[in-house]
Amino acid sequence: MTEPLAADSDHLAPSPGLAALFVGMLQVALSAFGGGLSAWSQRIVVENRRWMTNEQFLTGLTVARLFPGPNQINMAVYIGAEFHGLIGALVALAGMLLVPFSLLMALGVLYFELHELPAVDRLLAGVVAAAAGMALSMGFRILDQYWKDAAALALAITVFLALSLFHARLVPVVLISGPLAMIWYWPRSSASPRR
Amino acid sequence: MLAAACRPETLPDLGRLLQVTMQFMGLSLFSLGGGNTLLAEYHHLAVDQYCWLTARQFADLYALAEAAPGPSSMIVGLLGLGAAWREGTGWALLSALAAELAILLPSTLLMVVACLSWKRLEASPLRHAFERAMGPITLGILFSVGLKILHSADTDAAGVTVSLMVCVLMLRTRISPLWFMAAAGVLGGLGLINR
Repeated sequence: MTEPLAADSDHLAPSPGLAALFVGMLQVALSAFGGGLSAWSQRIVVENRRWMTNEQFLTGLTVARLFPGPNQINMAVYIGAEFHGLIGALVALAGMLLVPFSLLMALGVLYFELHELPAVDRLLAGVVAAAAGMALSMGFRILDQYWKDAAALALAITVFLALSLFHARLVPVVLISGPLAMIWYWPRSSASPRR
Repeated sequence: MLAAACRPETLPDLGRLLQVTMQFMGLSLFSLGGGNTLLAEYHHLAVDQYCWLTARQFADLYALAEAAPGPSSMIVGLLGLGAAWREGTGWALLSALAAELAILLPSTLLMVVACLSWKRLEASPLRHAFERAMGPITLGILFSVGLKILHSADTDAAGVTVSLMVCVLMLRTRISPLWFMAAAGVLGGLGLINR
């Protein structure tokens, strides 16, 4: 494993400028029409443009998933910040969002103009049913990894009930359950590194 | 649904617009697990608190954001559009941009800080505890969000059946969800799914 990685870093291109960063992220967004954004950004950023090693890219994915914010957007921020700090992050973000956001706004304007037409409303009734199924699948998708952890399931169920049954708001729920869960999961064994 | 009981909050000037977008900014750092965890909060703000949209329209916009290319978290832009739609298209687009920037800015800033200090964070017990703790909380939130969207979609028995089928297909196959939305849209257009 070490050899290809070493070869990888030897063949890295020079750091991209802001304009190249913008164009690169624009290319990622355009390639990903139809899905697979993170696969496309890996292909373009690591394989085609050779801005970072695969290892760097995967570290970025870890950070992007861990921190708040949409994963794909956080990934753009990571790539931009890697080369030009905050400015780079904003430029990468703009490149990634410019076309999809404009397109979505055009769709939104069309929606608000047309949604009262009976034909459009009928069509949407179907699309919405499918979208609701997609929303429902999000929880099940990550359920597997917690199946054998009773504490995790109890925590998930408590959070679910607080939100869905007792209509608690998300912010207080996270502010209360988060620290409690962190204390529970704090590494306890003496072998684990402190700081 | 409940539309009569609720008067839409208008956004007549820039000051009021900024005041409202601040609420999105406050939510930004609570977008765990990739952003979809905030959907029920968006629903609360846009449908229950400010009455910009009906629950049905919210479900429509969710479907639109899922169907369009790019990160589905751009639904915030659509909510901003709907919020100021009564004040005219130009103003609505400005409101859309303000909402999107508000939701992205705090998480972006935090992400930049995270990238710069990742080397130190990576091995810290804080990171370990945070990662383990947020997983189950995210799980609970996502189930609550799925239920909320299903409820907002408010389709008939045929629609709910389609939702459940799509949920299973999303988990068991790698078929692009666009196909499910297209097929369900046809069913809706034919009058087989109603709400």
